[in-house]
Amino acid sequence: MEPSKPSYDSLMRHTRRHFLGTSALGLGALAMRGIIGDAQAAPLPKGTHFPAKAKRVIYLFQAGGPSQFETLDPKPLLREKHTQPLPDSVRQGQRLTGMSGYQATLPLAGSFVDFKKYGRSGVEYSDLLSHTGEVADDLCVIRTMHTEAINHDPAITFFCSGNQVAGRPSMGAWASYGLGSMNENLPAFIVLVSQDATKDQPLYSRLWGSGFLPSEHQGVQFKAGKEPVLFLTNPEGVSPHARRGMLDALGKLNADQRAAELDPEVDARLAQAEMAYRMQTSVPEVADLSNESPATLAMYGDSVKTPGSFAANCLQARRLVEKGVRFVQLFHQGWDQHGGLPGGIKRQCKQTDQASAALIKDLKQRGLLDDTLVIWGGEFGRTAYSQGKITKDSYGRDHHPRCFSLWMAGGGVKGGHVHGQTDEFGYNIVKDPVHVHDLHATMQHLLGVDHERQTFKFQGRYYRLTDVAGNVVKAVIA
Amino acid sequence: MRLSGSISLALFLASRALSADAIVDFNREVRPILSDRCYGCHGPDANKGRKAGLRLDELAGATKKLKSGDVAIVPGDLGKSVMAKRIASNDPEEIMPPPELHRPLSGVEKDILNRWIKQGAKYDPHWAFVTPRAYPAPAMADAGWVKDPLDAFIFAKASQAGLRPTAAADRTTLLRRVSFALNGLPPTNAEVDAFLADKSKDAYEKRVDAMLASPRFGEHLAVGWMDLSRYADTWGYTGDKPMFAWPWRDWVLKAFNDNKPYDQFLTEQLAGDLLPDPTQDQRVATAYNRLHRMTFEGGSIAEEFRQDGINDRVITASYGFMGLTMECSRCHDHKYDPISQHDYYSMAAMFGDQDENGLLSYHGEVPPPFVRLYKSEADRRMEKTLQAAVSEAENALAKVPPAQAGSTMTVPAPAAHFPLDAFTKTGVDDAVAARKPAKFERRGSPEDLQLVPGVKGNAVKFDGDAGLILPEFRQLGRFDAFTFSAFLRLGEKNARATVVHSTGFYTGDGDATGVELLVDHGKLRWSMIHLWPNSAASVETDAELPVGTWQRVTVTYDGSSKAAGLHVYLDGREAKTTVVRDTLHAKPRDNSLEIGSRSRDAGFRNGSLDEIQLWRTALTAAEVATLHGIDISTLPPSALAEHARLRADPAYAQAWARLQDARRALAAHQESSPALFAMEHSDLAPKSYVLTRGEYDKPDLSKPCEPGVPTRIHPWDESLPKNRLGLARWLTDPKHPLTSRVIVNRLWAQVFGAGLVATSENLGMQGDLPSHPELLDTLAVDFVRSGWNTKAMLRRFVLSSTFRQSSTPTAEAREKDPSNKLLARGPVLRLTAEMVRDQALLAAGTLVEKVGGESVQESANRRSLYTYRKRTAPPDNMLIFDAGSREVCQPKRLNTNTPLQALVLLNNPGFVEAAKSLAIKASKASSDPSTQIVAAFRHVCTREPRPSELSALKELYANQKAEPPQFAPPAQPASKTDAKPDPKTQKKPASETTPALPKMPADPSLAALTLVCSTILASDAAVTSR
Repeated sequence: MEPSKPSYDSLMRHTRRHFLGTSALGLGALAMRGIIGDAQAAPLPKGTHFPAKAKRVIYLFQAGGPSQFETLDPKPLLREKHTQPLPDSVRQGQRLTGMSGYQATLPLAGSFVDFKKYGRSGVEYSDLLSHTGEVADDLCVIRTMHTEAINHDPAITFFCSGNQVAGRPSMGAWASYGLGSMNENLPAFIVLVSQDATKDQPLYSRLWGSGFLPSEHQGVQFKAGKEPVLFLTNPEGVSPHARRGMLDALGKLNADQRAAELDPEVDARLAQAEMAYRMQTSVPEVADLSNESPATLAMYGDSVKTPGSFAANCLQARRLVEKGVRFVQLFHQGWDQHGGLPGGIKRQCKQTDQASAALIKDLKQRGLLDDTLVIWGGEFGRTAYSQGKITKDSYGRDHHPRCFSLWMAGGGVKGGHVHGQTDEFGYNIVKDPVHVHDLHATMQHLLGVDHERQTFKFQGRYYRLTDVAGNVVKAVIA
Repeated sequence: MRLSGSISLALFLASRALSADAIVDFNREVRPILSDRCYGCHGPDANKGRKAGLRLDELAGATKKLKSGDVAIVPGDLGKSVMAKRIASNDPEEIMPPPELHRPLSGVEKDILNRWIKQGAKYDPHWAFVTPRAYPAPAMADAGWVKDPLDAFIFAKASQAGLRPTAAADRTTLLRRVSFALNGLPPTNAEVDAFLADKSKDAYEKRVDAMLASPRFGEHLAVGWMDLSRYADTWGYTGDKPMFAWPWRDWVLKAFNDNKPYDQFLTEQLAGDLLPDPTQDQRVATAYNRLHRMTFEGGSIAEEFRQDGINDRVITASYGFMGLTMECSRCHDHKYDPISQHDYYSMAAMFGDQDENGLLSYHGEVPPPFVRLYKSEADRRMEKTLQAAVSEAENALAKVPPAQAGSTMTVPAPAAHFPLDAFTKTGVDDAVAARKPAKFERRGSPEDLQLVPGVKGNAVKFDGDAGLILPEFRQLGRFDAFTFSAFLRLGEKNARATVVHSTGFYTGDGDATGVELLVDHGKLRWSMIHLWPNSAASVETDAELPVGTWQRVTVTYDGSSKAAGLHVYLDGREAKTTVVRDTLHAKPRDNSLEIGSRSRDAGFRNGSLDEIQLWRTALTAAEVATLHGIDISTLPPSALAEHARLRADPAYAQAWARLQDARRALAAHQESSPALFAMEHSDLAPKSYVLTRGEYDKPDLSKPCEPGVPTRIHPWDESLPKNRLGLARWLTDPKHPLTSRVIVNRLWAQVFGAGLVATSENLGMQGDLPSHPELLDTLAVDFVRSGWNTKAMLRRFVLSSTFRQSSTPTAEAREKDPSNKLLARGPVLRLTAEMVRDQALLAAGTLVEKVGGESVQESANRRSLYTYRKRTAPPDNMLIFDAGSREVCQPKRLNTNTPLQALVLLNNPGFVEAAKSLAIKASKASSDPSTQIVAAFRHVCTREPRPSELSALKELYANQKAEPPQFAPPAQPASKTDAKPDPKTQKKPASETTPALPKMPADPSLAALTLVCSTILASDAAVTSR
């Protein structure tokens, strides 16, 4: 029969046991032995189905839904037709949110900001992304992303877990489950949330949750400050030496228990306590940005000095992947510009543009970009028309799931490339649509994973990140 | 074959010679293969995806001649069976299952299928869809060992595998084990001592009975049910506002403590409101159905989320009561189990029988329908008394004799009058000068309000987005009479247009409140609303208004809270209306009157208004006529008599005042008690249709669905009512194949760590097979016969020899049965998140035991089931120990072992505080460190430390004492770590930002003992029950 297939229930009982075999590996490296295609994949790294182009991922998630019109998808026609109503022939009766769905008129809004061509490739970026433009030849812009949800909560949940319903594993949890960590002293999936962002729409721990996968695959949130990981720091008055003494005593207690109860599980528990102890050293080390060179710091911009800022988190992300963390996901909120878009998006780009570009340059100069996939984008785009009235110097845009833009870099994607085309209103896709499932499939493909084969049986069904859909977008792969 | 089943399969195979003629068992061997590899394309889903017209889930389909001319299975004839050929093929184009499934058949599996075909391809019904029957206990067991018939089943199975039960566990270990199994807490040292000292024969039974009678029992049992029922204290989704639901949780733990028969437990939660003359508690129980998440995110579409809520109810009930994964059939027929998409939407019709809104109000009000929670029987009776008083006052009013009609008529002066002839800087002037309210303010984009020629002078034409607001015109409550009058002209036949309302901030229909005049597909709808649609009084004109014609529209409300008190007049004459809603249950929010627009709603696009007048009284029909210049002599005498009665009859005025007082008193009494959302059947609930691909906006109108059940699981008795009560009766029919098996299996898992069916959430075809099928069925039958007696069943489990065995395996048993599926030894459990924390608090002596009540922050030191559960940010230490977020139904928790768990045990402030308190407690009881350590160890781990353990801990103590704690100056300012979130501001507790580090005691002895206690809390002996 099928000895290597996992099931929820077998893991339920056997996950802990796997530590016996893998306790020398890191958090998250567990449970994978024998789970994914051993037979076919013998010479390949664990969890992969074919050679990987990317070993790790940094996802710069821009929560709230950045407008494509002021960033990555120039639409001169909207400037020409500024304030004119959106033609019905373009909308085609597609649904709107309850925010602007009852609006009496839907006036088109041209971008307040200009676009320029950058690099040898000549890809256009808005003036708000001039630093990003500097690395244009490393980036692949997808202008034809589309999604199913139209409100933040379902849409961001869909983007982060492949399903609008709560309770599915997140992208990073799948990567941790499938590929494990490359550093025994650090979690495989780490999450960083910008502290300098405008908190317009909330984030939820489900966005980096493990869903029905074992809980060790859930994203571990790193925070700026004294305790980068929850409960990492010893109580006041407990020195590392004292902690070592406790662990030694714990080792003796558990060894005794093991001998009395004949239960290998006890060893696993001790191994986890030891790993926790190592994390107490390794995490503060990796979280300490103080020995970064002035040149590096300057590249990320002034705000890199503010702990927890997007810039500091970008630098942190580089340090983490350098240490072997598999999946780092940043979240930067504040992109939900229903009104006052020009001011809002200027602020957002100022917070993120320079550091995002710096991350690419930094990875590149360290030779990490080739096998690190970086993705920048949000959960949906914004409408070509203004939500609310257009005034002399302001307008807003409602949620738009039918097309939006993001960029990818490194990890085997084409540099200086634009994929897909939207219509001249930026309302519908004309060519090469990329569904969220397609993006997930592509991301997994670059990691060496066949998205149809990395599955987990739960409640009688085989689940995967891409549910029952998803096609690898070969055209973006170098 | 799944890993989990490999043991039993190996044993099974070992028990039969693996030879060509060994008889194949369809349910045990064949169906798992067919289901896993074939049913996806050749299964029960008829709608899409069935390939080649072949279905393999039933004999007729498998043996029929296909279009291709092939026959998949010719029973008894392998050579003619194309299926055999296809599974044996090496050609990627030929082979089944196809390579893209990535789940090829193994040699053993192919052999099973081939033998099955050869032996006649006999199909048996799926084991779990056949009514369970009781089996006699196997006689081969050691009679001396058997304390309960269940032991005989366990013994027999273990013997077949060559295993013998282990010796009885020592009494201390057993007491700890049973204490966790029944109460979720360890025994105290005193309880252990008393138990060891009790030499009576029934000492153990006495302890068991005490535990079953303890209120801790219900607290413990409630946790699993809260997981299944996705209980939390917030609504989830964006904003995640507080959700008032804990009275339901208290109902659950009381039900367990009272040992409410399970059939009643089920019935009251599914359909308490439909029971004859339901009690308050029975209605509280139905909150079960409404614990799903709700959103108030701006722009959300109500129907989409109403459908999501109904779906959540269906799947929660099917996991919880039937162990079935019904959500698969939301979008298409179930791929494995006999549940069609039509069945699914028939269930949806059961649970969608509410007159409800899919969206939560932005203001967080309890979404109707709801039940008032009276604290006492006296309060409940008071409601009845006050209702009787209202009825009596209504009768008295009706009996007031008609008044004499007068011959003159004066229309009362309006409270405000806006001719709308010109705009001022800020708005429009009130013609009733020097009076407040004096002005309308223009809002939105004022330049979009146009002055156009009106009936008298100019009028205002609206664009649908911009409007007028009257900031000081408020207090449009349910007991406040009100009249609005204006000339109105439709510019188009608006599908929806807001003319007048007092809703204030609005995110969608979820929080429409106050007075509201809408144009609804050309008709006028006039309402007084608490929350739309359930709690509202509303009428709608029968006729559509003409487009492009001025008409004077006058709407009145008499403050009665009744639809009968809402009137619509066109050009001075009453329009015929139909009641839309007449169920106003509570007062609306108090907001300013707005005209012509509402944020995020359709305003009065292309409509015009002129001569707006407002009164704080309901004009009579005669006054409305007069206002419009109709000569009163042309009015029917009844109108004039009615006018005289309303305006000039002291007897009527007195009776009316009495009635209104009675209504106010009733409302005040009702609204003084909190409301809990609950189920309440309504004939106004939208009809259920099959939704194409499960999409909320694609109902297939050719496929209406009456309330119903998946009848291929269990037939429907036509005498049952087609509603949730009928559903409950269907489920609790003793012949129902799933209900009793599911609950017995879950109770078994509670005590023995894993169910007899390991997939306790799925007894369908893709679930695991039972390890002891006869035992499960016998227990299920016993359970129903016992009157669905939960405590009695658990009592049997813990009194059994199986439960009382030592959990330490022999080397042979560990080899043959590493996961203890055969239970030839006692169960070992990693404590749950709740148990780990509650044990630490109990050991520390800081556990505050109080049953029920509002949820609390961890700092309150209550049992963990009372910890406030915020869905988008669940308590970290709970998540780390495998508890879920409670966003959706969680049938089972995983059981992991991670470094973060070690960090919680050693560094989490709550656990460090517990270690400190435990050290203080132990040091107070004795001055001898060794005695202190032994006491502390026993407080946590129940047993005495073994000598080697004690010496390790003593060494730790000595080393630590020699090296007292050093504190880094300066101490950081203390911040509250577990502050309760302020429900008003929704500020996160400080712990979610920067938790302050817990601090060691400065005293070297106490610090050393604290570290010893901390180490004990993190040890294996602490976090397991063996």
